This record gives sequence, structure tokens and C-alpha cells, in this order.
Amino acid sequence: MYNLKIRGRHIIGDKSLGQISGDIIAPIDAKTPLWWSAALVVSLGLFGWGIYSMYITVTQGIGTWGVNNTVGWGWAIINFVWWIGIGHAGTAFSIFLLILRQTWRTAINRAAEAMTVVAVGCAALFPLLHMGRPWLFFFIFPYPNTRGPLWVNFNSPLFWDFVAISAYLLISASFWYFGMVPDFATIRDTTKSKVKKAVYGFFSFGWTGSSREWLRFEALSFVLGGIAAVLVVSVHSIVSTDFAVSVEPGWHTTIFPPYFVVGAIFSGFAMVLTLVTLMRKLYKMESFITDSHVDAVCRVLIFISLIMGTAYLTEIFMAWYSGSTYEMYTFFKNRIFGEYAFQFWAMFICNAIIPQLFWFKTVRSRLWIVFIISILINIGMWFERFNIVITSLSHNYIPANWAEYSPTIIEIGLFVGTLGMFSAGVLLFFRYIPMIAISEVKSVAKYDKEQDLTRSLSHETSEKSKTQAQH
Amino acid sequence: MNRYMVGVFNDEFGLVKAFDQVKAGGNKIDEVFTPYPIHDVIVKMGRRTRISHAAFFYGIFGAASLLGFMYYASVISWPLNFGGKPTNAFPSFLVVSIVGTILIITILTLLTFSIRAKIFPGKAAVIIDPRATNDKFILVIDSNAPGFQPEKVEQVLKENGASEVYIHENPHAKL
Repeated sequence: MYNLKIRGRHIIGDKSLGQISGDIIAPIDAKTPLWWSAALVVSLGLFGWGIYSMYITVTQGIGTWGVNNTVGWGWAIINFVWWIGIGHAGTAFSIFLLILRQTWRTAINRAAEAMTVVAVGCAALFPLLHMGRPWLFFFIFPYPNTRGPLWVNFNSPLFWDFVAISAYLLISASFWYFGMVPDFATIRDTTKSKVKKAVYGFFSFGWTGSSREWLRFEALSFVLGGIAAVLVVSVHSIVSTDFAVSVEPGWHTTIFPPYFVVGAIFSGFAMVLTLVTLMRKLYKMESFITDSHVDAVCRVLIFISLIMGTAYLTEIFMAWYSGSTYEMYTFFKNRIFGEYAFQFWAMFICNAIIPQLFWFKTVRSRLWIVFIISILINIGMWFERFNIVITSLSHNYIPANWAEYSPTIIEIGLFVGTLGMFSAGVLLFFRYIPMIAISEVKSVAKYDKEQDLTRSLSHETSEKSKTQAQH
Repeated sequence: MNRYMVGVFNDEFGLVKAFDQVKAGGNKIDEVFTPYPIHDVIVKMGRRTRISHAAFFYGIFGAASLLGFMYYASVISWPLNFGGKPTNAFPSFLVVSIVGTILIITILTLLTFSIRAKIFPGKAAVIIDPRATNDKFILVIDSNAPGFQPEKVEQVLKENGASEVYIHENPHAKL
């Protein structure tokens, strides 16, 4: 169970339950801050550029991109994998930490899940646009049709990917939404505005907090959590099979599924760190997102960064150990010392070396350094995907096929557009949805009061004494 | 008309103690409203859920129907020969089965939750005390029962730290 002396308090400032809900709901009731409106305008502007690029892509075709016969997958797939990776944090956070009963997750999981939903939405745009004729995307559904019926190819990783992404989007969105229902009810019952009461009342689905509802709510979270844990691992494994199943130097390897899953959780946790540091500063959530929360995420990042480094070195080792000239060429000539050396070293330094700074307490306790490192990790993860996609494709087995690739302004516009979409989504989330799971934070608030803990007769504490007796 | 005696507590510990004593006094506790789940109370209310069992059966149903469908589509309906490989490519069907099964479990479990917990869009909340979703712990005792002694129950509630005790009349249906 939670050890207060080691892990520190969940909530700083000895807040009552009423103060907890009040503090978290405050940004929703407050006047819209000026920086918020400015940031939203900028994000929507960027998103507008993205919409324009989408319009050009759809009306004129994929020829407006820099892709060619050799490098058939350009920035689109890089961005797709990058966004999906970021989207993994929400589920990883809520679910693995829920199953491990880590109570500190409660302050962060809502933001992580919100980020997941927006990021997966951004990711889904890229394969859709890359289809060339996105209005016919429904061809990918296996539905009875007049073409035979000709079914889709169930053996294709691209179809697996489609199933995985749509399932992931639906499941993470519903997990997120049902987690918010009790908090919407809190807003409904505390707000003074009639409009808010009606709107949040509708979205709270008639929640009252009765024992009947809580019992099933908890059962639902555990069922969804348990199966979504499988999903987190399988979705990115499936994304990696898009690469690993094909026969390209540098791709055709069994390390890909774990390598991708770990990478995804790495970039996602980094993005969570970016968001919570922003939340903490901009909305003064210091009492909920405490130093110990930031510290915990940083420690997780050290560990994942070590796995990433190991994965990079394993790939390089296997390229040499395999004795395959093609693998050797891809890794040593093309990636490490070749024309894509910058991207390789950007990836290696940002992902495997810089996060090691988190070993130092002085680094972990300085919020601005943590913020910068979290951004650097995401840049590094983008370069990782660049490194995988572009280097292998541009120089494959037959030198006659070799080609260069550089993105066009349209591809850059699509990427920037999704960045705008993501930040606009996150801003709307900050403004209109309680950014910390109120009911969950309340449920862990009692662990901060030691004398209450000993007074309590709750079965959790009796379980604790039982396990202690066994030891 | 249903009449309830409502005890308002500031923390869960008082509520749990009062719960036991009120129940020991032979009274019926209709419902407990809390800002977060309290396992003791849920267990003592005698509430149980079989959502996880249901989810298990949804899983079996989902996996079987997905595998069956893929078998039908690629072996019976339109067998397509690629490279002489078997049309029933069972290992690669597993990927879609796993992810699809998870999706089916989620959708059906959400529906089950929605029906059993009566949480659905557009439902008007039957609120006894609106502070229950904020910072109060509400104990609702049936006061229609014959032999209900309001003074005695009120005293028990107060002794265990109830900040307020009042009678709530619910003109609508039962809780």
C-alpha cells in the first residue's frame, strides 16, 4: 500500500474534499485567460494550414507530396507512427498504473487520456489521406459488397493496423469518457451557472454517486483497464509489423514489436510530462501535480530510455552479427555515418543519452529543464521514425532503385496542421473538462492523513496488515 | 410517497461506523451516496456485480464470431489463392481476432454497465443531496418501514459524527 514517508503526499496543502473539487473546477468557471485565447488562435491557424494541405492533397493527389516509387512512405507514416506512439501514454498511464494500484497516477491520468484521444485522432488522418481517395476509405471494412463479394485481406498488416487503430481510438475515448462521468456530475452539482448545469448535467448521464453506480463503475474500469492493457501492447506491435513483415533492410527484424511498444510509451510519457508541467505552471496545479509526481515520471523515463538505448545497440549489434551486407550497409553506412547521420545521432542523443540526466535530482527538481528534456525526447522520437522509414526505403537491396526523399511544403503543412489540431484539442480540454480526475484524487486524499489511516477500518488497511503479518 | 432519513457525514469513517450501527438496529439502508467509491460500504450494502463474468463471455463470443467470420470470408465465400498458401491462414487471423475481441468486449461491457448501473445519455439524475458528488457522504435510511424510530436513528447518526440529519421526501419512484 501507499507509504507516505517514502512517496510523499498526493496533495499538498491539507485540502478538504470540497477544496479539491473547487480547485480543479476553478479553471472551468474562471474567465477565459488571454493567453488561452491567443494560444487557441495560433493552434487553429496552424490547423488551418493543415486543412489547406489536406485540401490540396485530396484535390490534386499524392503527387503533391515528395514521395516516389522508392520512398513510398514519407513524412505521412513517420507522423502516423509518432502520433500513435504519443497516444500510447494515456492508456499506459491509466491502465498499467491502475492494475499496479499506483495511487499517484490519479493526478495525471485524465490529462494523459485526453492527450491519447487527440493524438490518435491526429494519427488516423495520415493513413486516411495516404489512401489517395479518402472518400472510399470504407472499402477497407470487410462488408458484404457487390464486388464478388471480395473481402479484405485478413493477412495484411495494413488491415490489422486499421482494425487496431479504430479499436484503440474507440476504446481509449470511451475509457476516458466514462472516467469523466462522476466529475461532470460534480460540476453539475456545484456550478452556479444554469447553462453549465444543463450541459454538464447531460454529459454526466444521471450520475449520483450511489453505491450501485460506484460498484459497477469500478468493475467497468477494471475490465476495460485489463483488456486495454493487452491493446496497448498489441496496437503498436501491429504498427511495427507494417515494417517488420516487409522485406527491407533494417526493417525485417523480430525486435520491432517490443522496440516500437517501448518507444511509444517513451514518447507518450514524455508528452505527458510536457503537458503536466504546463498544467502545473499555467493553472497553478502545484498542489495536485507535486514535485513527487514529476519526479516519478522522470524516473520512469530514465528506465525506458535505458531500454531504448539497449534496443538501438541491439539493432546495430545484430546488423554486424548477422553478417548480412545489406544490414551492415543500412546501419553502418546509411544510418550511423551516411547521409542520414544527423537524424540517427539526433535520435540516439535525444532518446538514449539526454534522458540519463534524470539520474540527477537537481535536474528532476528543475521544472524548466524537465520541460525541455520532455520536448527533446519527442523530437528524438520523431527522428527515430524518420531514421527507420527513410533510410531503409531510400537505399534498399537494388542500387538502381535508390532515390532521395525530401518533404514538400504540403507534407510539412500536414504535420504542422496536426500539431495545431493537437494543441487546440489540449487547450479545449484544459478549458472545458476537469483536467484532473476529481473523484480519483479524492479517493486517495485519505492516504495523506496518517492518523485517519490508522483509525480507518477499511478493508484495504486490514488487507495491508494481513500481508504484513504474512511477511 | 417515499420518506427517507438522510444522514450527512463529512468523512467516510463516520459513515462506515454509522452504517453498521444503524443496520444493527434493524433498519433498512436504502442507498449510500459518496464522492468516491468506498469498498466497505459497497460490500456491506450486499451489492455484487457480475460485469467481469459478462465480459469474459463477451470475449468468448467475440473471438468465436470473428474467427468464424474470417474463416467464412476467406475459405467459403471467396477463397483467394496467394502463393499457394492455405486459405485458412489461422495464425494471421489471430491478430485481428485479439484486437477485434477487445473492441467487442469494450462495447458490450459498456452497454451492460449502462443498463445495469442505469447510466445513460439524457437520464435525469435522482438527486437526494447534491453535495454527495462534492464533499459529503450521504446515508439514506428507509423511514417508511414499520417500527422505524426516527429519534433513535438520528441519535446514532449524530453520535458517529453526522453533521446533519433530515427527512427527505421523494415524490418520485424508489431509489
